Amino acid sequence: MKIWITILLKSTVLFFVTLFFVTILGKKHPSRITPFNFINYSVIAFLIALTCTNVIYNWVIGILAIAVWMLLPLILEYASMKSKFIYNLLKGKGIVVVKEGKVMEENLSKIGYSGEDLLRELRSKNVFNLADVEFAMMESTGDVNILMKSDKRPLTPNDLQIEVCQEGAPQTVILDGNVINESLSNLGLNQGWLDLQLESKGVSLDNVFIGQVNSKGELYIDLFDDLIQTPQSNVRKILYANLEKAQADLMAFALETQDEKVKDMYTRDSDILKNVLIKLKPYLLK
Amino acid sequence: MTVGSQVKQTLAVLKGAESTLRVYSLQEQDKKVKKVYKEAMDAVDGVTKNLKDRLKYLEYEEPQYKQN
Repeated sequence: MKIWITILLKSTVLFFVTLFFVTILGKKHPSRITPFNFINYSVIAFLIALTCTNVIYNWVIGILAIAVWMLLPLILEYASMKSKFIYNLLKGKGIVVVKEGKVMEENLSKIGYSGEDLLRELRSKNVFNLADVEFAMMESTGDVNILMKSDKRPLTPNDLQIEVCQEGAPQTVILDGNVINESLSNLGLNQGWLDLQLESKGVSLDNVFIGQVNSKGELYIDLFDDLIQTPQSNVRKILYANLEKAQADLMAFALETQDEKVKDMYTRDSDILKNVLIKLKPYLLK
Repeated sequence: MTVGSQVKQTLAVLKGAESTLRVYSLQEQDKKVKKVYKEAMDAVDGVTKNLKDRLKYLEYEEPQYKQN
């Protein structure tokens, strides 16, 4: 057989074998692999390159070596999913480097880190002050993850005791002028609703590049024609303002009327509306 | 503006708000939020009923303000 035919054949076969191997390996992020995985993949890459360029002349030997390096990690991966012991052996455990604000020097020397290395890792996570760190852990992939002291963490609505509306993921319902029926039905809506919304905004479906519906059921659209201004939905704000107005009206009526009983009724109703407003505020105003 | 027509206007605003709340409570997928809308709707409904009664009384007292 001519040498170029051999190379062509081997390359094509190994190409698809590699492709298949990568797909069954799963969707792990390449930068999150352990050092051992890195060596493993490098060996596979080398073996494949050497085999298909005929440097390893005997293809049986080449394939055998590739098979071992591909199958063993798959088997070990499966075993480590089943057993915690094998998992720890294979992927290593994370090592605590800062605990309760104090650097664990022995642990640092175990992983071959100097103080300067630790500080550099912290800086790369935007932590310049060691005093702000409550807990830090070195993962088996070499990443350092940090828990800040509670007074140095970013403020959340929970800290301020503000109630916020739980917002789910938006659904894309229009893409390139085409309606995506699946995401519409996920929201319990249909084409008729979409037509109505587009009509009220005064745009045609062909002109819409992307349309998204948020979890509140509001449609946001981006048009091909960027000169057209689309109205933003502010029904919720108007509703809130209306309720506020009604509440103020009731208060005014209570002041105007002479009848004590009616005055009582107006004041009570106004209080009811006030409570409603407080409850609705996180959902209507944002 | 007379008292009667002022009350009427407020009543209309509240009715509109109530129906919008009804739409939201039907549209909402999250059970907790749905409940919030429903409760708000019921509270507004109570206020609307009181206002309606008051309006009837006002129209009875001052028939000259009765509008159709």
